[in-house]
Amino acid sequence: MRLRYILFGTGSVLFLALLLVGWRVFASPYRYQGSLIDPPPPAADFSLTDQSGQPFRLSDQRGKVVLIFFGYTHCPDVCPITLTDFRRIKEALGNKAEKVTFVFITVDPERDSVERLKAHLGNYDPAIIGLTGTRAELEPVWKNYGVYQAQRDEGSAAGYLVDHTARTYLIDPQGNWRLTYAFEMDHSAIIKDVQHILAER
Amino acid sequence: MMIQRYRPYLIRLLITSVIALVFVGILNEGFYLLQREQHDRAPRTVQIVVPIGTAERIAAGEAAVSLPEEMVFVVGDTLEVVNQDSVQHELGPIWVPAGSTGRLVLEEANKFAFSCTFAPGNYLGLDVRLPTTLGTRLTALALSAPPMAVFLFIYGLLAFPIKDGKKKKTLEAGA
Repeated sequence: MRLRYILFGTGSVLFLALLLVGWRVFASPYRYQGSLIDPPPPAADFSLTDQSGQPFRLSDQRGKVVLIFFGYTHCPDVCPITLTDFRRIKEALGNKAEKVTFVFITVDPERDSVERLKAHLGNYDPAIIGLTGTRAELEPVWKNYGVYQAQRDEGSAAGYLVDHTARTYLIDPQGNWRLTYAFEMDHSAIIKDVQHILAER
Repeated sequence: MMIQRYRPYLIRLLITSVIALVFVGILNEGFYLLQREQHDRAPRTVQIVVPIGTAERIAAGEAAVSLPEEMVFVVGDTLEVVNQDSVQHELGPIWVPAGSTGRLVLEEANKFAFSCTFAPGNYLGLDVRLPTTLGTRLTALALSAPPMAVFLFIYGLLAFPIKDGKKKKTLEAGA
């Protein structure tokens, strides 16, 4: 009889503890992995040329999550890693990847022609949209997105390097700047955030 | 029957466990209080306000934002940059358009040197440390108390052996 009371008491305490843990886990708001922008302002619109020579306007992507990275095709380190991450994110999202646009905007318009972009992005995933334009067309985009870029000639046979911002921007389906990610951010963190934003709709 | 036979051992184990828990708890808490530092706290939100006109003042070489004396954070802290300026600002991974707030949960313990648009010199160092919270102290207790209990139990058996109940009864009957 006494044992029954003890078992009942222990069981009740365990059940309440489980309830408490469950409540803490499921009732707490989602914690974004990237740097959250709150309130999310409308992302600066732009129109540039994609790797097929077609015009690409950001505002046409309304209803989709857009991931934007600024880089260049001759980049030896940061850009290949980010483009590989884009491919991984796309693969991990499966069918949901249709609702995500991956954009790579050049910071080296002198070398990143439409053809060069097409060949380079084909090595990663042809679905990644590569954008280029004249320096005059790109400068306002860089400015609006707070992108730093500076050419650095080290006398390499491969040509000059470009120091540039390595941040990834996430624009939500409403066309707002929502999150940014540092270069070091693991791609699985971006996947989590994208899935959460897609589920919000 | 089996329980009855091992009952003195179980009672001894229970007593040594309680002693070990109390002893290790006092020891752990004592050392914690002696070595306690400012960052030994639960995660919280640390806010930095970037007032209007900051970009102009930074360009003129002036300090525009009052920053905490020590940029020491703990893992789990939320760093919040409130941008009241008319231009965008950034602090490492946090990029904040004008009029918005950038918020980032610091997940990794490390020393960072971030590019910063509102700090003189355009760089800001951040030290993110692992905090000693109640959870970590309880974990330490959970890890150290059982071996101490086992040690005390074995020591107790050697120093103060448990007398066999049957032998004791026989001896009593014989007497």
